Amino acid sequence: MNTVLPRIAARNLLRQKKRTILLAGAIAFGIMIVTLINGFAGSFIQNVSENFAYLLGGHVFVSGSEYTASGRRISVIRDDSVIMQALSSSGQRWASLQKTSETTATLIFEGKSIRQNLTGIDLAHSTMLKERLALINGSWDNLAWPNAIIVSQSVAKKLNVLPGDTIVAQFQTVTGQNNVGEFRLAAVTVDSTSFIGSIMTYVQLDYLNSLIGLGKGEYMSLGIMLDKLDRSEAFATSLYTSMKGMGLKLFDRSTRESDGSMTPFQAMIQKQNSETWTGTKYRVYTVDDVLAQAKQIVVALDTGSVAILIVLFAIVMIGISNSFRMAMYERIREIGTMRAVGVQRGEIRSMFLYEALFLALAGAVVGIILALIVMAILSLITFDPQSPVFLILKRGHLSFYLPPLRALGNIAIIAVLTLVAVYAPANAAAKMPPAEALRTVK
Amino acid sequence: MPSISTKGHRYHRKNIAVLLAIALSLVAGVASAQGKPDPRALLKQVDNLSDFTGRDFSAVFTIVTQKPGEKDSVTQARVFRRDQKKQFLILILLPEVNKGQGYLREDDNVWFYDPTSRKFSHSSVKENLQNTKAKNSDFTLSSFAEDYTVTSMTEGMVGKFPVWVLDLKANTNEVAYDRVVLYIRKDPTMLLKREDYSVNGRLMRTTAYPKYVELEGKLLPSQILILDEINKGEKSQITMAEQSVTPLPDKVFTKAFLEQVSR
Repeated sequence: MNTVLPRIAARNLLRQKKRTILLAGAIAFGIMIVTLINGFAGSFIQNVSENFAYLLGGHVFVSGSEYTASGRRISVIRDDSVIMQALSSSGQRWASLQKTSETTATLIFEGKSIRQNLTGIDLAHSTMLKERLALINGSWDNLAWPNAIIVSQSVAKKLNVLPGDTIVAQFQTVTGQNNVGEFRLAAVTVDSTSFIGSIMTYVQLDYLNSLIGLGKGEYMSLGIMLDKLDRSEAFATSLYTSMKGMGLKLFDRSTRESDGSMTPFQAMIQKQNSETWTGTKYRVYTVDDVLAQAKQIVVALDTGSVAILIVLFAIVMIGISNSFRMAMYERIREIGTMRAVGVQRGEIRSMFLYEALFLALAGAVVGIILALIVMAILSLITFDPQSPVFLILKRGHLSFYLPPLRALGNIAIIAVLTLVAVYAPANAAAKMPPAEALRTVK
Repeated sequence: MPSISTKGHRYHRKNIAVLLAIALSLVAGVASAQGKPDPRALLKQVDNLSDFTGRDFSAVFTIVTQKPGEKDSVTQARVFRRDQKKQFLILILLPEVNKGQGYLREDDNVWFYDPTSRKFSHSSVKENLQNTKAKNSDFTLSSFAEDYTVTSMTEGMVGKFPVWVLDLKANTNEVAYDRVVLYIRKDPTMLLKREDYSVNGRLMRTTAYPKYVELEGKLLPSQILILDEINKGEKSQITMAEQSVTPLPDKVFTKAFLEQVSR
């Protein structure tokens, strides 16, 4: 392989250090911005979905709905034996199951009160809690208490409660009657390490059920945690088919709004509001169905990054093209000499194109390294757990994920664009007659 | 024979005594029945006090809510009611930050309107009005006779007034409170006090009705005091003003009207 031309090209770049640094810097800045956007978009949906998956207690969900005698619709799964059979016969694997009931309550302690969403789960046997939550006060052993409650650090501070204290809760039953319960504070979770811990209040499922008018063994929603988020849709489809095969009444999963104004989950709920049925009817949905609009944000971010890439590089390419045209005139006698000693036109063109390629690659690599450094610095910032951006964070920090193929794609785009920008001056240099080039006086 | 005659006199006296006893007990029973009204009829009388069926009703309610450690908050709302169609519209006037928010009831649906987002969301008559101790249902006509069964009726006193104390149990599990105790003044019939209990029998709220005004022959509470029995120290005082039964245009009970007046 002829390495003379690449070496000359590299030497030419080093001869004009200032110009090279400015041009490569412009490329590096552009690619850094685009890489940051790509990295943020890459982890955005992952973080939102994972946060919601743990917030809701699963990647795939089954919930039941039935009408009371007076026509009020309530959310309940009374007997899950057929659902469990359907799960087994679906042939799919899952990491854990979580049965939950929920209500919104006012927690009261010695004159202080706060509104919270209470999630009833089997506290003593939940692996998810121990995996995701860190305790600042209390003990996991306290979760055996029949009326145990876990609150976040901020809620404990607001109510001024300590483990062992009895918190009174005021809420409504599933049919809308007012009721009161007494919960014993088992543990306080650390806000700063977990988004989930900062907003969730967990109580014993059986105790909550007895207070909101559900029977023992009944619950509102079954959350199925999978080993990977991207298996959610396939799992839900398989479970839906399996449940339908077992003769359960199911809401149609194909309900979608074509104009994108609603998530598939919202569209499904709206359609269900116009339906009536007898007995329990089930809905199967995924965390992605709930978060479809978040995916639109990712698409918007990706489209935006491509637009930024094009605009930034259109500007940079004009600069590069002009710089290489200037370089050609500066080296016109040199080109004439090279041509006079037998260097071919194509080789002159290649020499310029090699220069452009090296410049693009160096700028792109530096840009990506800079982006990685900025990402690392940004990920060190700890955000307030109560801030609204917390849902897009990973354990309280910004996180980035840059798909390798996307990074390579960006480098390739830059390389091609630079070669296109430099082709015209390179071609002009190649076509220059040697005698005329040698006669030219700068 | 004299012995027979004596025996006959004895039997006669005994019969007279029995008859007298029966007569006296009947008289006492009738007297008692006349003094103790039918509990269901009494409940209907209480319901009728707040019933403006056939007429429209509007008033301005000012609710001062006290919470320990917090400044008193004042909520003011204009309430429009059309009981015949189970409609109401509650328009928030104060605090300034919530001005324009509103609740619209159409049959059994209650919609909450937020002028900031310009969106309606589902609410309920069982929900509290804003950050007060009052519920939306406190501004509608009551339906004790329909929703509850009287489990006991005793006599008592509220202050210096003799009252009937009615212990009520909900007929369904869909009314806000499973058990309600009403203290109804005997003459004239008016509700003086009410206690609301949770499903598991805990006293949640005590409401006193110390002042009444007369409007078109009906007695309406012009001052209501609501005490939160769970979170002791929290209470709301409601005062009614500008009460009227002037007919209201149909458009008042529409989402469009709520949107228009909220601007």
